[in-house]
Amino acid sequence: MKLYKKEGNIIQILSFPHETAEKGDYLLIEDADAAKALIAQVIDVQFASIPGVLEELLRSLPDGGELVQGEDFDPLEIAPHIAYIQDASLLICKIRASVENETLSPSSSWLPSRSQSTIKKLSVPTLLKLAGVNGKLPIVLGSTKDASLLTVDASYLDGRLNIITGKKETGKSHLSKLLMSNMVGYKATVVVFDLNGEYVSLGMTADGKRNANYDKIHVLTPSQNFKVALKQLNLHVLLGILIHALHLPGTSAREFRRIWQSLKERGCLTLHELGEAISSWHCNQHVRDALLSRFHALMNSGFFTDNTGEALALEESLFKAKEHGGAVILNLRNTSSIDRQIVVEYMLGKLVELLTSWKLKAVFLFAEEAHLYLRETYWDDIVTRMRHFGIFTTFITNQPDTIRENIYRQADNIFLFSFTNEHDLDVVSRAARVDAETVRSIARDLPPHHCLVLGKVVKDFPMVAKVRALDIKTMGETRLFFKDTDKYLS
Amino acid sequence: MDTLLPQRFTELSIHSLKDENTPLFQLNQQQIQQTTNPQQQTHNIKLAPHPIPLKPAREPTAIAAVDTSNIKIGETAKGILIAVRAANVWKQNKHYQYARFGPFIFHVTEENKKQVYNMLQNAYFDQPYYDRHADYSNMAFMPMRIAALLERWLQTMVAKTLNNGLILFDGSLTSGSGDTPTRLIKDILDNARKRNNITLAFSKMTTLRINGHLITDTLPSYKAPYLLEVTNPKPKPPMLLLGDIYVAKLANENYAFRLDIDKEISLEKKVGAVERLLGNDPAEQGYPETLRLAHILCTFTANEVIAMQHFATRRYGLKIVNRPDMHRLLFGPFGRGESFQ
Repeated sequence: MKLYKKEGNIIQILSFPHETAEKGDYLLIEDADAAKALIAQVIDVQFASIPGVLEELLRSLPDGGELVQGEDFDPLEIAPHIAYIQDASLLICKIRASVENETLSPSSSWLPSRSQSTIKKLSVPTLLKLAGVNGKLPIVLGSTKDASLLTVDASYLDGRLNIITGKKETGKSHLSKLLMSNMVGYKATVVVFDLNGEYVSLGMTADGKRNANYDKIHVLTPSQNFKVALKQLNLHVLLGILIHALHLPGTSAREFRRIWQSLKERGCLTLHELGEAISSWHCNQHVRDALLSRFHALMNSGFFTDNTGEALALEESLFKAKEHGGAVILNLRNTSSIDRQIVVEYMLGKLVELLTSWKLKAVFLFAEEAHLYLRETYWDDIVTRMRHFGIFTTFITNQPDTIRENIYRQADNIFLFSFTNEHDLDVVSRAARVDAETVRSIARDLPPHHCLVLGKVVKDFPMVAKVRALDIKTMGETRLFFKDTDKYLS
Repeated sequence: MDTLLPQRFTELSIHSLKDENTPLFQLNQQQIQQTTNPQQQTHNIKLAPHPIPLKPAREPTAIAAVDTSNIKIGETAKGILIAVRAANVWKQNKHYQYARFGPFIFHVTEENKKQVYNMLQNAYFDQPYYDRHADYSNMAFMPMRIAALLERWLQTMVAKTLNNGLILFDGSLTSGSGDTPTRLIKDILDNARKRNNITLAFSKMTTLRINGHLITDTLPSYKAPYLLEVTNPKPKPPMLLLGDIYVAKLANENYAFRLDIDKEISLEKKVGAVERLLGNDPAEQGYPETLRLAHILCTFTANEVIAMQHFATRRYGLKIVNRPDMHRLLFGPFGRGESFQ
């Protein structure tokens, strides 16, 4: 390999056919005289612009376009040399760091010697060692192209905002399960907003047996084993549900506050009493109607109860998880859109309450397709305010444009699976921790189950890894009509 | 004469490259060029007053074309590094096929230039066609001379193997120069005739002029295709014309070419041969496709030149040194005139 050109932090390297470098590979450009080296990552592989190649290709075609057949007597065997030159490729590389005295720095301000520099591939383990990616809480994400393991440190997910994105069926949920299982293994408290009931079997192996995490997985299904008693509720949490999930106007909300305080003073915070109070409350008829309709929505959700015994599951699960590590899976599979918002609104309010009072230390929140249940104002809350309470979110989505641009800008880690759509790639490339060229070039060609890891977790050295398999029961499979095709063949 | 490609050519090529004391190898100032046969200026030539109209004859006829090219790929401290290649393209049953010979790379030095040339002649031809006392003083002509040698050999091969066909040469049928010994050209034409072949030589460039104008430029406005005979050509001795000269305008495009057709063939057969050529081979720009392909296939591309330089440096350890380009050095951006980079 030969250094050809450098423009900004893009370096072009001429590579010959026996030197196999692919997108995503790291190269070490060493200048022995300067006692420095550059670490560059291949973000694109192009044909080298060799003079005469077009003529070479064209000359075998006569006017009719038919290929001319023939024989070459090439006694000196020049043809392999011609092929060697023709097949030379140009590696477009992004400078990631420079190395001096075995210390990495992000600077790329110096220029290595074009004639004297040596260029060689940098193996992932060497790079990880140089970058100090391996830590005390290792999570093996998978294997890299050179068959080495990509191991990241769980502590780099702590206090961070993460995004897992990619098109359908590329392995996003699989990776989130992997991260989650490992976090639980390190006694972390994990909460999952499980939209499709994919995570409910995290405690089971593929063949249906209990795995090591079985006792740490707590599945809560709203209105089944997850209910809330009015007495447990803080007024501001319920007002949040009424205003944000059920769109209660401000005037009505003020009346509701009075009703609530009245009932609370009398010690009558039950569903029945609340309904009665709203019906008999002296107020504008429209306000009463508005309050009644919201009351019936709460009743119909089945999520609220007067029986406090039924309403202990969440806190119990969270406290168990706090003690031994564990995941609280909020199964939203059969929950309607409105109810989903009610449940999520309650859950987030409850988490903030528990974290504020230091009953919980911190929570890792995994939110699948959050745009389907998270109200607009919560996005900013999650990345700014709630982070300070100790809610560290990982968004998982196959529609990257549903996540706001400011979330990408603040994301600390991005786990990017394959995307072919230019628009999707555009959205993701707005992330602050990555350059657009890397995202566009590498993510487009990622095979299924291969992930481009970006951000702090890999010390800003983008890495491609095949996500390792997990021995857990799969639940997120698409239900197919033509599953047994023989049945439909007559 | 051996009808196989002589091993000697290859051996000489390798032998010349193995010269141990040739460390320098200069890469710039290359010239990609083809052999252009020197055409003897003739005086008082005229064009026939009436053209010979042509009608494409569809009678299936095999067509074979021969061409060579040569290039200087670098300089060493002692001499030059050259490459030659020959191509033979034939069209039969509406399909083109080719045989390509080379590239052969020679390291020609002042010391070995005469030896290389004579050894090649001996290897190729069993008769002393060439003048053994020829002047080799100008090394710049060596690439063309070696390429011409290869071309004559390939022309001989084609003349001895094709039957009832048309043989197309690049250049003219003028003989008598150092690279076109009259006896050799005559033998090639004789061999072709014995097998009922007709030899046609197309010149891409001609130096023949009438009243100061090139014969291919001053054409009457007849409808193509046609031939216009060039009369009264009298070359200076020792040059000889072994073909009758025509201006061939084979297509409506504004291109005409000098065409030499074997003198020993009757006019009727000559015309018939061109008509069969028109009926069997496209001549979109007035130039036969088979000959065009032979030219294209033997010409070196810039990519191949780089590959041959790569071969010479890798296989024979020639160290690449760029000697300053004096034209560039002295004249800056105006010094590009003689370089083809």
